[in-house]
Amino acid sequence: MIKCVVWDIDNTLLDGVFLESPDQPPPPDAGLLAAARELSDRGILQALASRNPPEAARYVQQATGLQFAAAELGWDSKADAVGRIAASLDIAADAIAFVDDDMLERAEVAAALPDVLVLTPEDAVQAPDWPDFSPPVLTQEGRRRGEMYQARLRRQAEAASFGGSREEFLRHVGTRISIAAARPQDVPRLHELSVRTHQLNSGGAALSEDDLSALLLAGGHQVVTVALADNFGDDGLVGGVIIERNGPGPWRVPVVMVSCRALGRGVLDALLAWMCRAAAASGASSLAVPCLVNARNVPMRLALTTAGLRADQGELSADGRTVFSRSLDGPLPALPAFVSVPGGPA
Amino acid sequence: MTMPAGAVADRLRLMLAEVTGRPEFASVPDETALLHGGVGLDSLAGTLLLRRIQREFGVDVAAEDMNLDALETLATLAAFVAERAGTVS
Repeated sequence: MIKCVVWDIDNTLLDGVFLESPDQPPPPDAGLLAAARELSDRGILQALASRNPPEAARYVQQATGLQFAAAELGWDSKADAVGRIAASLDIAADAIAFVDDDMLERAEVAAALPDVLVLTPEDAVQAPDWPDFSPPVLTQEGRRRGEMYQARLRRQAEAASFGGSREEFLRHVGTRISIAAARPQDVPRLHELSVRTHQLNSGGAALSEDDLSALLLAGGHQVVTVALADNFGDDGLVGGVIIERNGPGPWRVPVVMVSCRALGRGVLDALLAWMCRAAAASGASSLAVPCLVNARNVPMRLALTTAGLRADQGELSADGRTVFSRSLDGPLPALPAFVSVPGGPA
Repeated sequence: MTMPAGAVADRLRLMLAEVTGRPEFASVPDETALLHGGVGLDSLAGTLLLRRIQREFGVDVAAEDMNLDALETLATLAAFVAERAGTVS
């Protein structure tokens, strides 16, 4: 599934060459603009990579009305530009499409980044019809993705000039994390998170909307959502967990999933701290989270070990995941004051 | 051939300062805790640090250390990396 389209400007997104007509730069290409708008409405990010001065990005943004999540303007290699965009948005190369009218640029990107989907402008006009560009669900969060990435750029600039600890920064920017019981209207977004998240995902199977609706009604489970906002913007629902409750016995958490947009913003730490505290308060003796161990979800594993969970050597869950667990005796992870939890302060 | 842990620790301090954006971490003592208190790496900064270690020393800490115990202090991480750097595994 494509998460970001990186556009060339000259003779691609613009119907002409930006620098050739400085007084009146060319208008957008109508076919590509329609495709870019449609993809943007589906929650697919748009970005620019162009051999042009930075003014070109500002002109394109104003002429198209599109919100670009990243722009690499300059004269170095397009492959490097696309690589930097992938890194800055934290999107894997196989979820990026690159559109350029120049055959040599396409060849260079295809050679350096073989996982990137490389398209001619003629191909890109058709892209909205292709399955890779058609996310199965479209949520409020999905539609606003471009806007949220712009807030993220402003937040990163603020973080770069801030001297204190991560938690001090989160307080400084007015972070608000809200943990709450899931409602039926949250089901589409929870499904989307189960499909789209990888880095902060404990590796459970994707959950269909039917599965999730059934879990909301079934006894013995608790489905919980987490929402995130700060002074830069409202990210909406960014994560969910499913807790199996076995009375006073151990709490087992088969699903933990948080959007990579929330990385570095205290969300997973807050969720794990709340689960430890809520489980302890209900009389549970331990908390167990089965987690797939792979190279992609290292951030998940870091959060688990930071919250005091450890892998029992050799203990695997029924679906083959490594079980990370901790006893709930003794000190529990602290919950920052900017986190609100079900039923009030934990 | 293994690397001297002291040299690895010095390099790790610079990486810590970079991934956290806190220049003062470039001079933290060896016994500084990395996850709890001390540097207080979160999962984002921790992941960036592990990626840099892999790129620079060729050591994949996450793959070799299930519970990431190597991240207890700067000294334990330096020892873990020094022992494996430069060896073909």
